[in-house]
Amino acid sequence: MTEYVVRFNARQRVEHISVMSLFLLLSITGLPQKFYQAGWAETMIVWMGGIDRVRWVHRAAGILFTLLTFTHLTTAIGLVLTGRSKLTLVPTRQDFVDAIVTLRYYLGMSDLKATFGRFDYRQKFEYWGLVLGAVVVIATGAVLLFPLFVARFLPGEVIPAAKLAHGNEALMALLVVIVWHIYNAHLSPDVFPFDTSMFTGKVSRERMEHEHPLEWAEIQERQQRRRRDVWVK
Amino acid sequence: MMHSFVLALLLATTTQAPPQGTAAAPDVDTCLSCHSEKAMSKTLPSGETRSLYIDGAVFERSVHGGKLSCVDCHSDMTEIPHASRPFKTRREFTVAYYEACKRCHFANYNKTLDSVHHVAEARGDITAPLCVDCHGSHDVTSPNQPRSRISLMCAKCHQGVQTVYAKSVHGRALFEEKNSDVPVCTDCHRSHDVGGPRAPGWRLRSPEICANCHTNERLMKTYGISTNVMSTFLADFHGMTASMHKTERTDAGVVTALCIDCHGVHDITKTSDKASPVMQANLNKVCQRCHAGAPKNFSAAWLSHYEPTWKKAPLVYAVRVFYAILIPFMIGGLVLQILLHLWRVVVNR
Repeated sequence: MTEYVVRFNARQRVEHISVMSLFLLLSITGLPQKFYQAGWAETMIVWMGGIDRVRWVHRAAGILFTLLTFTHLTTAIGLVLTGRSKLTLVPTRQDFVDAIVTLRYYLGMSDLKATFGRFDYRQKFEYWGLVLGAVVVIATGAVLLFPLFVARFLPGEVIPAAKLAHGNEALMALLVVIVWHIYNAHLSPDVFPFDTSMFTGKVSRERMEHEHPLEWAEIQERQQRRRRDVWVK
Repeated sequence: MMHSFVLALLLATTTQAPPQGTAAAPDVDTCLSCHSEKAMSKTLPSGETRSLYIDGAVFERSVHGGKLSCVDCHSDMTEIPHASRPFKTRREFTVAYYEACKRCHFANYNKTLDSVHHVAEARGDITAPLCVDCHGSHDVTSPNQPRSRISLMCAKCHQGVQTVYAKSVHGRALFEEKNSDVPVCTDCHRSHDVGGPRAPGWRLRSPEICANCHTNERLMKTYGISTNVMSTFLADFHGMTASMHKTERTDAGVVTALCIDCHGVHDITKTSDKASPVMQANLNKVCQRCHAGAPKNFSAAWLSHYEPTWKKAPLVYAVRVFYAILIPFMIGGLVLQILLHLWRVVVNR
């Protein structure tokens, strides 16, 4: 029987499935709006029942995405403040060192491999990319949803600028997901064909030792301490 | 299918040359021997008087003079004296001879069947215009000599529109400067297959009408007008919306601003005109027609047909430049890292 650790709890798994579904829905309804003059975009819009419905779905999904992001961030802050979670996702100096070490390894300049904790620099990059991207699309999306309100406080030019930024930021996010996330979760030789950990929450002992040795060591140390504590009592 | 077959047959058998009169048919001079009498007229049952006088000189000057004889159109009036006709009114007489033109002008007749005028006619409106109402009957001459004649022709019924149009930038150029570049009624509404705002999809496709001239480099250069007007409209939210509705057949439920909503229709003015609705000073009121309560700043959301540049819209331009650099940099970097990773995996084996 393979030994495994539960790396993602139920809340985190539900968050992932939610953000994945909403991201897909927003991409399918948003992309043809950005490239509306292309033939394929027209086909997609007709297929989805016309631009009015596409916009309605996009806005509804956008509001849900906003709620999800808000919930995620407030929960994360809450957990950190109450000491139930550590700042394992915050980039540190070590991440830059790890990135350079990894690049040197890839380039064959050294055989030294970086060892990672709970999240490696690539995962942190993707997480903060998603959070920052979400903040940009939510803010610009809100401008597009409430242009009259925005124009009360800001110059009108903010509205077309928000439109351009919204589409471009979303396009970049989609490309990052297609290129980077699909590679890391599916196509990379390390996980091919499918890294199921984000859905089951479970990661095998072998993978933990290989990919997150520092976290694995910490988990073992914690377990030993607990056993020792039980023994002492 | 059957329809187009019959149509093809009709077209094939319709000769463009006027039909040859039979030997027995009277020639023009024979007809004029009676009809050049100025007092010749007939009182119809409606009480109207129908003059039967024909000015031979006018007919001779018309496009048909020397080409057609009277019976080519009045094909049932070969016997003299003519048999009595059952017409109660002058209009009934006109309607009865309406189809005489199609023997030669079949293509244009066919087009009229798609017109709003034909819709009115089919509904039983006897005042709906027929060929002769626009072109005249015995005095048919080239309708666009001069071009302003076309608009005056439509004005016979559409006087209200004509009054407004004559004051517009297009109408003024036409009537006051004798400019033949500007659109007359038929350039937008077409001539035989005349369409109007109640035709399905007419409103939604109206920007294409404006674009016919306003994207024409050569023509616009003469007047110093930008040809970007269409592309900048399409890049804006309103133009996007219109564009994404273009596969739909009707205008129903399509809520967006088109050229005509800001610039007007028959009353289009120069954008430099103080009365122009799109003048910066007036623009906010135009926005408020749809966006109730739009604040002062709101109209600047529309970039006034300018491409975003450092000078015209620095914020929009900055966003464009930012992503034009960031997206390739980001994606390129990630692809590079993936390739390096794969390369290392292969080397390690």
